[in-house]
Amino acid sequence: MKIVDCTSRSVREINEAIRRLVDAGEPEMLVRNPGARHNLAVAVLKDVAITIDGPVGYYAGGMSDGVRLTIQGSAGWGVAECMLSGTVVVDGNAGNGAAASIRGGTVVVRGDAAARAGIAMKGGLLVIGGDTGYMTGFMMQRGRIIVCGNAGPALADSMYEGIVFVGGEIAELGNDAVISEASPEELAEIGATLTGYRLKGPGSFRKVVSGRKLWNYDKKEIDIWKAAF
Amino acid sequence: MCGIVGFFDKSGEPAPVGAAVLAMLSALGCRGPDSAGIALWGKEADGVVVRVKPGEGTDTEARRREIVRRVGRLGRVRVSTTQGSLLRLVVAKAEPAELALAIEAVAPDVEVVSMGRRLEIVKQVGAPRSLEAQFAVSKIAASHGLGHTRLSTESRVDLSHSQPFWAHSVPDLAVVHNGHITNYHHLRRLYEQEGVRFYTENDSEVIGVYLARKLRAGASLGEALRDSVSELDGAFSYLAATSDAFGFAKDPFCLKPLIVAETDGAVAVANEEIALAAGLPKGYQAREAGAGAVGLWDRPAAAPQPRPRRGCKAA
Repeated sequence: MKIVDCTSRSVREINEAIRRLVDAGEPEMLVRNPGARHNLAVAVLKDVAITIDGPVGYYAGGMSDGVRLTIQGSAGWGVAECMLSGTVVVDGNAGNGAAASIRGGTVVVRGDAAARAGIAMKGGLLVIGGDTGYMTGFMMQRGRIIVCGNAGPALADSMYEGIVFVGGEIAELGNDAVISEASPEELAEIGATLTGYRLKGPGSFRKVVSGRKLWNYDKKEIDIWKAAF
Repeated sequence: MCGIVGFFDKSGEPAPVGAAVLAMLSALGCRGPDSAGIALWGKEADGVVVRVKPGEGTDTEARRREIVRRVGRLGRVRVSTTQGSLLRLVVAKAEPAELALAIEAVAPDVEVVSMGRRLEIVKQVGAPRSLEAQFAVSKIAASHGLGHTRLSTESRVDLSHSQPFWAHSVPDLAVVHNGHITNYHHLRRLYEQEGVRFYTENDSEVIGVYLARKLRAGASLGEALRDSVSELDGAFSYLAATSDAFGFAKDPFCLKPLIVAETDGAVAVANEEIALAAGLPKGYQAREAGAGAVGLWDRPAAAPQPRPRRGCKAA
């Protein structure tokens, strides 16, 4: 396996080294000594396995299409942001905005995720092994989020579509987020997904979806709108 | 964007915290190269330690002599040196509030940058690395420390506007902040009506004033931090510490980054994990603080002093 060492290299040089290996058809590589630096392994557009052997900063694996990225540590803000397809696994905790705006693929955070995990997701799957923070799934448009632990306040606030499954406590539902019944098929699928990533979830999950009240303007709400503006 | 860092050694005893804070701050230098500063809570001094900005474009040596002359009337000046951009005095048998007034009466551009029995703040215009050249911070032993590297967005770049801010009026209390306090003007007007002097137009300064008022009214640092989450407005992450406690507060919308790592021996906090990686040995667990989160660590009760306390009478 090829190794890319981050020591005394700029982020641009590190990403160029990764890109050269990807372009040369290398199937897997190990990135060493990441030192929690930002923008590592971004925009990788091929099915290639990349392991980073420590913590990363912001936007790791962002804008990627097909990458299989494993981060053996924690991740900062916006891990896998805007990913189209592939898999990004964070062995530790993730900062704000994990899997923000992803269109496809799977993001797994084995530890806890912070605020606004899965914000504006347009597809794909976000799996959180631990707890998740404030406003998880905010303005989500499609896709699924599975939270094995507890969810913070304003869960799934103003979501258009998509589903959030929560195994633990929900501190507070966001605007227009409603609880609905998870089907046995859905629960079985969650179980299979968690097993696939060697995660242990609770026995049951609650399903949170959009109440669709914010989809259309309601004339009866004119006073609320007036007050808001 | 600014960078803030904090390091707390759980032993409560002087440890190489100066070096840890400098390493963390240097790793965050890209978040703001305008100015940088460090606050360290070191060994308790035999008197009040005062760091003074002697004024801009003036004869520093003359200012130092004049300050020493005036301070000499209020207490015993044990140490008086010039270090980098600041004067450093250790004054025994003096009352801190009187001391600050006397020093700042020398000239309008003279400012007490820090005061306390353990707190020392060093700061300057420029990137973190020049702190070492001016103040040899890596050699300073302390139980805990804070650091700040600034990218000015709304107020001028000079020594006074750089952080950490000593919370004037409460010895040993200092703050570093990343973000915006949007009710700054409102609070400032309120406090100014009560006679509080503001030294800068930096909104971060109001956090120190806010905490100082709370502490003077009898609140603990933890209580003050918790209240601030709803009473301060805006997007903020800040760290604050006194001689005996170290903590952080984060705004209710979680708009500013703050990553916390706690090990058996230490607590390290910073905007980005890159700073934690520079300050802690590998194997720590990093976690983003949640919306409206407050953290607080108390320094273990200090070992009995070999001789009775004297000099500083203030709270």
